[in-house]
Amino acid sequence: MTAAGLRTMPLARVYLVAGITATGLYFLLPWDSLAQAILYDVIGLSAAAAVVAGTRINRPSLPVAWYLFAAGLFAFAAGDVLFNLYAWAWHRDPPIPSIADVFYLAGYPFLTLGLVLLVLRVRPGDRRVGMIDATLLTVAFAICQWIFVMHPLIAGSSDWVANVVALSYPAMDVLLLAALVFLALTPAWRTVSYRYLTASILLLVVVDEIYGISPGSFPGTSWLDAGWLLSYVLWGVAALHPSMRDLSRRQAARGQRLTNVRLLVLAVAVATVPIILVIERFVEREVDALALAIGSAVLSALVLLRLSGMIRSLDRHRRSERSARAEAESAHKELALKNEQLVEADRLKDEFVALISHDLRTPLTSIMGYLELVLDDHNLSEEQRGYLSIVDRNADRLLHLVNDLLFVARLEAGQLDLHPSELDLAAVVRQSVAEAEPRAAARGVELACEASDVPALKADKGRMFQLLDNLVSNAIKFTPEGGDVRVSLARVNGFVRLEVADNGIGIDADEQQRLFERFFRASTASDQQIPGTGLGLYIARAIVEAHDGSISVESVSGEGTSFRIDLPVEQVGSTT
Amino acid sequence: MSVRRLVLIADDDEDVLALVRATIERSGHEVMAVGDGAAALSAMAERRPDLAVLDIAMPELDGLEVLRRLRADDETKDLPVILLTAQAQAADVERGFATGASAYVRKPFSPRDLATRVDDLLA
Repeated sequence: MTAAGLRTMPLARVYLVAGITATGLYFLLPWDSLAQAILYDVIGLSAAAAVVAGTRINRPSLPVAWYLFAAGLFAFAAGDVLFNLYAWAWHRDPPIPSIADVFYLAGYPFLTLGLVLLVLRVRPGDRRVGMIDATLLTVAFAICQWIFVMHPLIAGSSDWVANVVALSYPAMDVLLLAALVFLALTPAWRTVSYRYLTASILLLVVVDEIYGISPGSFPGTSWLDAGWLLSYVLWGVAALHPSMRDLSRRQAARGQRLTNVRLLVLAVAVATVPIILVIERFVEREVDALALAIGSAVLSALVLLRLSGMIRSLDRHRRSERSARAEAESAHKELALKNEQLVEADRLKDEFVALISHDLRTPLTSIMGYLELVLDDHNLSEEQRGYLSIVDRNADRLLHLVNDLLFVARLEAGQLDLHPSELDLAAVVRQSVAEAEPRAAARGVELACEASDVPALKADKGRMFQLLDNLVSNAIKFTPEGGDVRVSLARVNGFVRLEVADNGIGIDADEQQRLFERFFRASTASDQQIPGTGLGLYIARAIVEAHDGSISVESVSGEGTSFRIDLPVEQVGSTT
Repeated sequence: MSVRRLVLIADDDEDVLALVRATIERSGHEVMAVGDGAAALSAMAERRPDLAVLDIAMPELDGLEVLRRLRADDETKDLPVILLTAQAQAADVERGFATGASAYVRKPFSPRDLATRVDDLLA
């Protein structure tokens, strides 16, 4: 393999291949030779080194767990070295217990502690169900371990030191496996690194078990060594694999689901004691009744805990569902009530609009009608006629105000209903200008109209008259005596363009933006006390926009104002 | 204008009723004035007018309902009727014409305009 090829290969795979190769090489060497012993020690030490290297390279969020693993593996390897020293340096069998045992047994707590740290990091503390399940499995395994491995080990011996050492290995296996099971019930089990770790620990435990049952059957080199060696290698691979970072990453734990597989595993765990009893009956061995009774009681208690937890969480769900439903119902009721209130408010508003429309117009009908009758009287003095024409003008203003307010009320209510028809806008413009002529003449303002024929538009005739009246009346109102107002209509590209221009008092530049707002009045208008409500241009814009058109203003204060309206020509070519 | 005709007018506002009466009498016509829709129908049953001016918003029967009944009756189905209303919506105008109004005058109105409409319909 070239150096470049090595660099591109993932480090974990390189170590895995190297480790398996070395393990194979171990069995090719002469058995029970020094070379074998050295290779064994090297593989063990390399695993500890690989874990340190993997931790350095991958930088997990909880490096201490991995350094504990490294320490545990190093302790194992040190035990191996010492064990070999007895044979090759000191030339005697190791005593029981030996210093090697101290190192071996010291390794397990490090490994277990590292796993526990990972479990605590990954798992938020409240996942009670997962904990109970893991405990169930662990207890079941512990019972088996006691009955089949530990109890027979000490059955014939009364040397308590030797017994403690002998019992320590299977006990440590239980601890290690328990930690692994706990980790399995966290989201960490999906990572590749976790699978290597599992393979490593399972190999270790299985080989320990086989060896533990009859240590005397495996003197010196044996095939069991393959299990221990590969266990070393796999632990190193787990640390070198980049996914080891995910093992300590806090993840949102999903709810514990009772899958079929899980149910099966739990059922087997619960059935441990009866199964053991049956097996013991067949091999006709004396039953360790005390251990089985304690184990059985613990398992039952755990099952009870598990059940009560399930029932409680079911109750909680049911309660929260019930309260959610009640909440939804009350929200629904509230919504219905709100809706009713809205409908009522809408009705009141309509009534109000009708009130303005009807009840204000009726008295105005009498005022304006009788006024006209009186003004028809030729016997009035000039003075009286002057007074009455002021009444007439103000009644007219009042009517305009009523109409404008009614228009705005309908507009806000979304009730601006248009009645569009084919409309000759030029005719509308000419008629509007003709109607405004007397008012312009009375103020001494020149009113000019240049309306060229334009394509027929689909537009509401009444609204178009209203629009023109608003704009032309405004122009006359804001133009001093001697000024000009020009109204023009022409076709420009796809639009019909209407312009109403005057050389009146103009509008300040900073106020032009707000000109089309409701109730806005330009300071030039209010300063000179020119009457108005601030609704005219708001209404003009609403009418233009209802016809898909646009309105804009150009003005220079003191020089004049020009309003431009562009209405889209819908039917191109149908000129009138 | 030379012929004196009979015009029925109906409006629930006394002042407006008097205004309409004055306007039509000035044109030289005879006027029957009533204050609600039911009275309008019974007055017309007694003496058939040449034209009716009906306010829309009236108690008892509104102007539109009176118009509907007039149009349903063979005797009066061609009687010229002017609707008078303070309701300004285009939709109201349409409803009036759809019911069979001959003309439509919006309040407030110019007495001169009303007189012209009346004379046009009586011509």
